[in-house]
Amino acid sequence: MEPEELTELALAAAVAAGAGYADVRWVREETEGLTVVDGRVDDLEAEESSGLGVRVLVDGRWGFAASAVLDPARARDLAGRAVEVARASAAAGGEPVRLAPAEPAVASWATPVGRDPFAVPLAERVDLLLAASDAQRSVAGVAHAKATVDLWRRRTVLWSTEGARIDQTVTQTGAGIEATAVGDGDLQHRSWPNSFRGQFQAGGWEVVEAADLVGNAPRVAAEAVQLLAAPVLPERVTTVILDGQQLSLQVHESVGHPLELDRILGMEAAYAGTSFVGPDDLGRLRYGSPAMSVTADATTPGGLGTFAFDDEGVPAQRSPLVADGVVAGFLTSRETTTDGAASGGAMRADGWGAMPLIRMTNVHLEPGQGSLDELVADTADGVLLSVNRSWSIDDRRVNFQFGVEAAWEIRGGRLGRLYRNATYDGRTTELWGSLDAVCGPGEWVVWGVPNCGKGQPYQNARVGHGAAPARFRDVHVGGVGR
Amino acid sequence: MTAFGSERLLEVAEAALGTGGADDVEALVYRQAGGLTRFASSRIHQSAWREDLWVRVRVVVDGNRVGTATVHAADPAAVRATAGRAAEVARTMPPDPGYPGMPGPAAAYPEAGHHDEATAGADPATRAGLVAGVLRRLPAGVAAAGACETRELEIALANTRGVRAAGATTGAAFSILVDAGSGTGWAEGTEPALADLDVAALGERAARKAMDSREPRELAPGTYPVVLEPNAASVMVQWLGWLGFGAKAYDEGRSFLVGRLGQRVCSPLVTIVDDATAADTIGVGFDFEGVPKRRVTLIDEGVAASLVYDFRAATGHGVEPTGHGLPAPSAEGALPMHLSLLPGRTPQAELVAGLERGLLVTRFHYTNLVNLMDTTITGMTRDGTFWVENGQVVGAVRNLRFTQSILEALSAVRAVGAETEMAAEDGYGAARAPALAIDRFAFSSATTF
Repeated sequence: MEPEELTELALAAAVAAGAGYADVRWVREETEGLTVVDGRVDDLEAEESSGLGVRVLVDGRWGFAASAVLDPARARDLAGRAVEVARASAAAGGEPVRLAPAEPAVASWATPVGRDPFAVPLAERVDLLLAASDAQRSVAGVAHAKATVDLWRRRTVLWSTEGARIDQTVTQTGAGIEATAVGDGDLQHRSWPNSFRGQFQAGGWEVVEAADLVGNAPRVAAEAVQLLAAPVLPERVTTVILDGQQLSLQVHESVGHPLELDRILGMEAAYAGTSFVGPDDLGRLRYGSPAMSVTADATTPGGLGTFAFDDEGVPAQRSPLVADGVVAGFLTSRETTTDGAASGGAMRADGWGAMPLIRMTNVHLEPGQGSLDELVADTADGVLLSVNRSWSIDDRRVNFQFGVEAAWEIRGGRLGRLYRNATYDGRTTELWGSLDAVCGPGEWVVWGVPNCGKGQPYQNARVGHGAAPARFRDVHVGGVGR
Repeated sequence: MTAFGSERLLEVAEAALGTGGADDVEALVYRQAGGLTRFASSRIHQSAWREDLWVRVRVVVDGNRVGTATVHAADPAAVRATAGRAAEVARTMPPDPGYPGMPGPAAAYPEAGHHDEATAGADPATRAGLVAGVLRRLPAGVAAAGACETRELEIALANTRGVRAAGATTGAAFSILVDAGSGTGWAEGTEPALADLDVAALGERAARKAMDSREPRELAPGTYPVVLEPNAASVMVQWLGWLGFGAKAYDEGRSFLVGRLGQRVCSPLVTIVDDATAADTIGVGFDFEGVPKRRVTLIDEGVAASLVYDFRAATGHGVEPTGHGLPAPSAEGALPMHLSLLPGRTPQAELVAGLERGLLVTRFHYTNLVNLMDTTITGMTRDGTFWVENGQVVGAVRNLRFTQSILEALSAVRAVGAETEMAAEDGYGAARAPALAIDRFAFSSATTF
């Protein structure tokens, strides 16, 4: 049965069962993950998942039901279940949900793709990763050489009782290498272009080619070996330059999440947590220095948070979150927005089986000026921290601690000694308040975070962060490693 | 929607086994169905029911070329098509010289998993009623958030070597965070059956903690004696399980156990086992390769005792697999997924009574690995962090970040609680732990609330 037929059937059944509003998403997701370790294919996971998710409002209460079993009887059953769930939700009382108006869209859209990654022969993918693994192993002292390629495609057919008829296909691709050195009771990784399976962007095989895994492999492997012999970063308070990879996660954890309006309103309190930001902080709270401007932009080419419509059918938007250091906006949905404002289009679901939640789209730190070389040259004393290794932040997004793969001393405007087991920690507004320089558009890259978790049941989201290296003053580094 | 049942699940799996030209075929069927009712600001704000079923097919051709493919569907045509796709992948893959074959049938599978019909069939009104009942009994002036979940899990595995294994289990969880203004409190329960959860007691515990957490004072970071309540202790146990008990991780040198097997790694008060067959966990009697689950003692009175093996690692080591395989081939290798830190003899209340000066920790938040080889993790306390003097809680403190080696913490265990609690994330696997009294626990920084 065609997705549109199932969707229409479920929508009609939901209305017949008493839904005041309903939307139905038919979703098909395809993934292929290939892992080569030490010249051998370690893992190949190819998965196809299709299902139907029915979301209803009955007397202002949400209900949701979803199944991977796709047939007309199940589609009708899901609609009935969703209504049953919504009716039960009235038991605890409380204010009913009201949705901000949204113009129902009738449209289709797909991620621009250079070369369809799923059409790249498996043998070609394997050969590339074997070459990338071998190029790492050519460096003496490398214990393990990993190379990965990940493909992801999601087609969503979204229909609503308001008249939305959307057919959208998003394609994303990732690739990376990770060299491991082991010795003297220690283990060090060095990755490229990013840790945790590399760089992920919207697009096709061109994302893999841009990563130049083979060309970067010897350097990355050599750095892993050097890290094993490097000293631990000493504890001190100093100037820090974060590279774009690490900065993207700093933005993610300490800016993106705290500005999700559902967190601010307490809707995630028990699990992911809330936010130190309050609803009344809009336009008032100084989040960082005037060098800090952050934008949510679901239209950025290449971003993992790029789409034409969110999972409520709201068009993709670009809007400021922090302007010149002051809170200027939140990530919002039709349910959470107030004062007659329209949704910011940030409702995203982890496939057919999950209710949409407010999620980051692409949350960018806007670029400043100059190159990384110029920024280092302008720094008398400090450290350059490169590529994330560990992250943690409290449940209101205040106290954070990050670990990175590598740290280089900066002295007299030059990079010096390499350090291992580097960490830095602090509090969100203090760190962003100490931001005094962001590199320019030439250094700005949209980094992918394909593993953002939130919600109960747990939902994964794929989000993007544009970032260029940036400098922060008076940051506490080290002190927890050995 | 009721359970598929063993017979029907195995029929789904067997649809894959006739793949032409294959030397070995295996089909793993995983079905999970359940509902989750979420509440925040003392109203139900999200509530859902979901049923998922996936079939993962592994096909081997030319003796040692291995391909896999997964589909979320139950109809035989889709399963056969997926098997065909796995075979196509296998034909493209380079040979795997270390391919160990597939396990054969077991003489018997251990009894495991408690499938409770009432939990499997719990409707949204049941969950919403439990939530509403707890909310009604909360003190005035507080707000609550949390979730009530019921789920059913069915797993079946069939292969061309004759394995036919199927099992089912259920799980129920209730968690509640109470916000009393300047302090929050939290409690969670997880059991195989909904009827075994005392949701009223959980609500009362969270409310009491919230009231006691008001007006927290600042405490300087440092190393303090602590009592970790069971949920916080179970987080450490789960991390330890991920960090190196799998034989593959050990062989590749990415395990903290390298060079330490047979040696004392923590206090003799600490014994950690992995046991999917325990009556009080959520599991089935075989692993994701169809190998019977065994109880394995990982740390025996403080001594690093054993690894866990999937079929490949066991074959390589010349030992019997322990039933801890993930869907093969796996980059991770074997993992212990039903961990239990065995209880001691000291009632939990006495652990606090025995604390001269130190901290009582309810729960950790957002833990992450800092250093694998010395088992250092970091994370925050939340929802009930208290200062204890002379065995009495004297007030709440602002939350702290810990950065602490798990093995060093377990080496400094002074006493182990007698009561255990289970923690389980959505999906397969769980960890059970008692409260722990630890003489030295390192807090590296503090937050503002």
